[in-house]
Amino acid sequence: MKVKRMKRKDNLKFCIVMVLLFCSIITFAQQNAISGKVTDSSGEPLPGVTVVLRGTTQGTITDFDGAFNLTNVKAEDVLVFSFVGMIKQEVEVGDQRNFKVTMLADAIGIEEVVAVGYGTQVKREVSGSVQTVDAETLKDLPVSQVTQKIQGQMAGVQIKQTTGKPGEGMNVRIRGQFSIAAGSEPLYVVDGFPITGGINKINPDEIEDITVLKDAASTSLYGSRAANGVILITTKKGKPGQTNVSLNVSYGIQEVPERGRIDMMDAVEFAQFKKEFYEDAGKDVPEMFQNPSIYEGKNNDWYDALLQTAPVQSYNLTVTSNTDKLRTAAVAGFYKQDGVVINSDYERYSLRLNMDYDVSDKVTIGFNLAPSYIKDDTPRTDGGRNEGILFNALHTWPMMPIYDDNGELTLYNKLPADVGNIFSYPNWVRSAQELVNETKDLDLLSTGYLEYKPIAGLTLKSSINAQITNSKFKFFNPSTATYRINQGIPTTSRSTRDEFTNFSWLNENTATYTKSVGDHNFSLLGGATIQKFRQDRFQLNMDNFSDDRLPFVQTATNINRTGTQDIVNEWSLVSFLSRLTYNYKGKYLLTAAIRSDGSSRFGSENAWGTFPSVSVGWIASDESFMADAEAVSMLKLRASYGVTGNNNIGNYTQYALINNTTSAAFNDNFAAGSAVSSMANSNLGWETTKQFDIGFDLSLYNNRVSVVYDYYKKKTTNLLYNVQVPWESGFSNFSDNIGEIAFWGHELGIKSINTTGKLKWTTSANISFNRNEVKSLAEGIDRVYGDFHITKVGEPFGQFYGFKSDGLYMNQADLDNSPVVPGRSTVGSIKLVDVNNDGVITKGGDNDDRTIIGNPFPDFEYGMTNTLNYGNWDFSVLMTGSQGAEVMVRHLVTTANLDGVFNLVDDVKYRWRSEENPGKGFYGTTVGGGRVTGVERDWNNDREIADASYLNIRNITLGYTYNSKSKIFKSARFYASIQNVYIFTDYWGGPNPEISVGRSGSNDGGNLSQGVDWSGYPVPRIYNFGVNVNF
Amino acid sequence: MKKIFILLGLIGLLTTSCDEFLTIYPETSLSVPTFYKTEADFTQAINGAYAPLRLLNNHEGGGMWVLTEMHSDNTIFQRLAQFGARERWHDVAQHAVPTADGVTANLYVKHAYVDLFQIIARSNQVLYTIDEADFDANAKDNIKGQAHFLRAFSYFQLVRLFGKAPLHLVPVTNRQEAALELSDAAALYTQIELDAKEAIQLLPVKSAQEAGRATSGAARMLLADAYMTQQKWSDAETQLMAIVNSDEYVLMPSYAEAFSESSANKNNMESLFEIQYKEGSEGLHGSWFYAMIPRPITAEEVGSITGTSNPLNITNEANNIPTPDIIAAYEEGDLRKDASIAYITLSNVLWKDGTYPYIKKYAKTHALHGNHGMSWPVYRYSEVLLALAEVLDEQGKPGAMDYLMQVRERAGLMNEPAGDLSDAIFKERRVELAFENKRWFDLVRTGRAVDVITAYGQRVKTNPGEYYFPEGEDPYPHGFQEIRLTYGLPASEADLSPNF
Repeated sequence: MKVKRMKRKDNLKFCIVMVLLFCSIITFAQQNAISGKVTDSSGEPLPGVTVVLRGTTQGTITDFDGAFNLTNVKAEDVLVFSFVGMIKQEVEVGDQRNFKVTMLADAIGIEEVVAVGYGTQVKREVSGSVQTVDAETLKDLPVSQVTQKIQGQMAGVQIKQTTGKPGEGMNVRIRGQFSIAAGSEPLYVVDGFPITGGINKINPDEIEDITVLKDAASTSLYGSRAANGVILITTKKGKPGQTNVSLNVSYGIQEVPERGRIDMMDAVEFAQFKKEFYEDAGKDVPEMFQNPSIYEGKNNDWYDALLQTAPVQSYNLTVTSNTDKLRTAAVAGFYKQDGVVINSDYERYSLRLNMDYDVSDKVTIGFNLAPSYIKDDTPRTDGGRNEGILFNALHTWPMMPIYDDNGELTLYNKLPADVGNIFSYPNWVRSAQELVNETKDLDLLSTGYLEYKPIAGLTLKSSINAQITNSKFKFFNPSTATYRINQGIPTTSRSTRDEFTNFSWLNENTATYTKSVGDHNFSLLGGATIQKFRQDRFQLNMDNFSDDRLPFVQTATNINRTGTQDIVNEWSLVSFLSRLTYNYKGKYLLTAAIRSDGSSRFGSENAWGTFPSVSVGWIASDESFMADAEAVSMLKLRASYGVTGNNNIGNYTQYALINNTTSAAFNDNFAAGSAVSSMANSNLGWETTKQFDIGFDLSLYNNRVSVVYDYYKKKTTNLLYNVQVPWESGFSNFSDNIGEIAFWGHELGIKSINTTGKLKWTTSANISFNRNEVKSLAEGIDRVYGDFHITKVGEPFGQFYGFKSDGLYMNQADLDNSPVVPGRSTVGSIKLVDVNNDGVITKGGDNDDRTIIGNPFPDFEYGMTNTLNYGNWDFSVLMTGSQGAEVMVRHLVTTANLDGVFNLVDDVKYRWRSEENPGKGFYGTTVGGGRVTGVERDWNNDREIADASYLNIRNITLGYTYNSKSKIFKSARFYASIQNVYIFTDYWGGPNPEISVGRSGSNDGGNLSQGVDWSGYPVPRIYNFGVNVNF
Repeated sequence: MKKIFILLGLIGLLTTSCDEFLTIYPETSLSVPTFYKTEADFTQAINGAYAPLRLLNNHEGGGMWVLTEMHSDNTIFQRLAQFGARERWHDVAQHAVPTADGVTANLYVKHAYVDLFQIIARSNQVLYTIDEADFDANAKDNIKGQAHFLRAFSYFQLVRLFGKAPLHLVPVTNRQEAALELSDAAALYTQIELDAKEAIQLLPVKSAQEAGRATSGAARMLLADAYMTQQKWSDAETQLMAIVNSDEYVLMPSYAEAFSESSANKNNMESLFEIQYKEGSEGLHGSWFYAMIPRPITAEEVGSITGTSNPLNITNEANNIPTPDIIAAYEEGDLRKDASIAYITLSNVLWKDGTYPYIKKYAKTHALHGNHGMSWPVYRYSEVLLALAEVLDEQGKPGAMDYLMQVRERAGLMNEPAGDLSDAIFKERRVELAFENKRWFDLVRTGRAVDVITAYGQRVKTNPGEYYFPEGEDPYPHGFQEIRLTYGLPASEADLSPNF
């Protein structure tokens, strides 16, 4: 199947087809009606039980009294009763008209119905690749973000925590998908509403379950936004049964583990280094280093001074109720995390109200309302020398005092230049305390819908959804502090503001018709949706405040033109969608889906994209020839193919824009100027991903063991890229759709009930292998560079790029007989590898010796959860791991700078000092200044590449449940957990092997530049205690 | 059926309004089809073409002055042992710019190329669209004249830096048109002359032009400069005489007054053309002088030079430090010496006693650190006079000494120089136009570059301590070996253009 690019004039034809499709939905004759009642083993009515006719999607749910009615039932039909946590039952209809069914509790608790795009489907009949995790398995993890909770829990979903900043840093990729320049985050759909922005603001306690749609057949209904995968979030609904009030309180203590902290020199060691530095250069040793032992007991650990042990607390009150016609769920939450870096504070206040009301047996209306308020005040911790205070604290000279003789924090420290201290160091503790770096977000997600079932099998649904976000960011740098080195104190006081309001609305209209004819079971979905987004943003940049206590606009003496601006961002999307689900006898499955998207982002010559998919499944275990294979409870084979898009190409990229800020001065007068800043591309479109998936679901030994396996192969083409054009054109690039990347991989998930009985032990494990290769880029371009990376045709994406090294030149003979960097290599300096064998080491140009030196992407990732239940006790261990990924330890540019300007990693002690004292052969000689040492430091090379494989015992929880006989108070569960118990890793660059922090500190470097360690906010270990009381 | 018709109708309605719903133009910026219509649009467009001139001398740590003045014997970098990764300056100053297959990765080479082609592209956009617009003919001529001037100015820099360049005369609108074949120097000079002549025709004289914009006088000087570089002496003479006879220019009473303050004395009566900066928050300021301040320097010491209210300390290496050679080039009693060069003694001593020279004629006080408004001089009337002396001398015509003496007398030098007149004129240019990016191009066009720079390199290598190298730090052993007269083209550009 090939993606068809429709122009606007074709659109009308499509609309007509859609209408005809709607019109095919016609009335039909009623057949036999049945009714019944479902109870649990104690005879209590059981509401919410799914009752379907086997092999069809026709069915209903029992009401509050456990009663159900079904029409159009034939004698040969089989009724299937299912309910979460209950054993599924099948009852033949025959000539019976009234059924009494008793459901028995099921130890396994398999979920039967899963969320799919625009509806739900019986899991057994799903032919795409879909995975669900329910809130229950996530409940004990004391972290703020949903994505932190699902990390390592699902095959094919790669999640990295790139920094420990509260509320930030989760990098989510589904099936290794990424793009060069367009966004790579999956689409998040909350209760059917594709939201803008991530889901890290959502209170995890509001979530009932999370479903990940992985293959194209599952995602193609989301069309031009589906290529990165889709994550469906279903929030809590009023559950059948009695009203339940649940209070969940937890309190934890966070600390930074000792393991993995960067081992820096203390004051004595650093003074010793400096002494040797001058001795080795044959220079006089400055007085302050002549006797290093004077610093005994006078060490200043600047990094440690920024850390603290901090509490994290969470309170959630949940009320669910299900009365005759009204189902409601309300969740009120408060979460507060004081960070492990001093003065970091993250607070979230949230509320969710979900309500569904049956106006009649044909009409249901519902509302969801979810406001939240987040206040995040975290110091500027991450990034390079000009950005991150954590990194700057690491390399601050340990003899520089944090406190002065009066016990006050010093203002800044600067030693005479002739001792090699070039840069002045502000007091980082002050920086953490005094800089304001605060974001306040107010979010409102709301939905209203009307559902109408005019005739049996037909459901018409119309919804209006809105998301409003109001965000205020304030940064204030008083004159007494700074986050960068070498800024004199007092410095220029500065402030930036960034405030925006986002408003996104969506109207969806769908019709679903379900029908069975003989053994043929159909369900047909058709729909039309329209969505619009608008952002109004204001940024303000000012400096020179009259008083540090008054960081306001009216006290700023100067408003900067650069960085002060209004920004408006808008996009719109009109879509038509349809899906046919068909099965024959419930064992031959077929789903075909199509969506057509028209988007304001696409060029005028290319305004509509169509995204089709098809999947097939075969439940082989239902065949008679499998009847003897008793070990096999269920075997389903699946295959799918489809086309999806990625429309994260920017809102106005297609236009030739005028930059109205290219102004000039004439004779000291301002003169407004304009210039064309980009070239138009009326053919600009979405990125296209075609994906093939094949897999199976296998259950063995009466569902004791279940296995899910998938192989996928994807091809992404038309990647958005600012193709570089020669500057002679007056432009640097042209936004175009170029190139091709191939992705493929394997995913395996296993669940096993190891023991039953009094001690129940279950294991669930997953592993994923993801690979990719760049097949082509633009015409005449075979490579794209990142920060320290290359993306090159024929190689995997975003590889580390630099020199290979081969130790040091150990002596003169070694130097004489090896290729050198002319004028720079000396005995004891780094020996780089002459990759092109031309006798010299060259950087840049045609004789460049740089090559691929590492891979930031893992060979495989895995996760495993073991859960033990014994009586009222429960115990679980979650482990996640990653194998084969590498990280570039780039902070060495400073922390191993051999010129004696910064404090150093401890290992520099073992540098090359002489032929007789060559050290460990890793760090080279300090003699010769930047001309010599600069090669080791600035010509980035494979010594900075570290194996970042790890196994993290991410969580251990022990719980005890107390069941009450009281009428009011039902049960209570007490639990204790440890988050981030221990990481087994050889990663030596810092505490977090998942790190990916850009030099700017504000992001992870982007897709082209993954896996660089500039040092970042540590990920804390959390000791947590909680209680969950149900009333 | 009726319902179906209604539904059909509704969807039809939706589809026709779809186009409107799906077309969203950016709200905070204009786009090409709606711009370039009115006089105001074109005024903005021509102003936008001037904007990259500011950058040309004002990139972080350098600009054109790295490629010209610091490539000559007038200035050098200030070596400090603690700092690495300084190749982009060191290579240029020591004539060791890595160049292979006619391309180099030097950053300032790229900056100059990019800035100049941006001016060209914006000038082309004006010239390509302005005839379609309907507004006052005089205003239109003035704008066109400025566009021709800016294009000629840019190609003149390019031809002297690189010896060849692609010749773009219409705006590029897509990827395929972006790269053109390289044109040789002759073709470029032909276009420079055409554009300059066009500019002379279209532009008003200085007194009739808004101060700071290109004038017919500036265009004449540009044309004369291009002629002189090609040794077309009599053509140059015609243009230079026209400037003198226009009565639009005189020398300022003193040399020091010839240069602008941060916000005063701009486009004074000596000025033909200067790159305009504006101190303040509009983003039109310069900070280039800060790259020329010796260091490591304390905030107080910076304040003593800049007079700002919030001085900050500066580290790393400085550039464009006057060499002993230029200091020695001033004759006894030359008032320009003290107006051009001053000294600062740093408290952080990393070389000798920490006393370094710096360029005083650009050191003008301003309000805030890193934000100044001094103009960068491009053409001054004293250059017109010196050029006139040169073209007359070259043609063996009388009068050269008179023009030379006008310049010398202002500098307090009342004696006619002895010896060869053409050498005297050349020497005068060096000191009169010191640090104004003239020296390197003068060395090249007069055929002196290889000899002068080789000898200079020898002096640097023999006495590195005199050229601000701290003990233990040496000039490149491989420096000053091969004196190239043009730079290689930018390597990043070579990766993208099939033509070089």
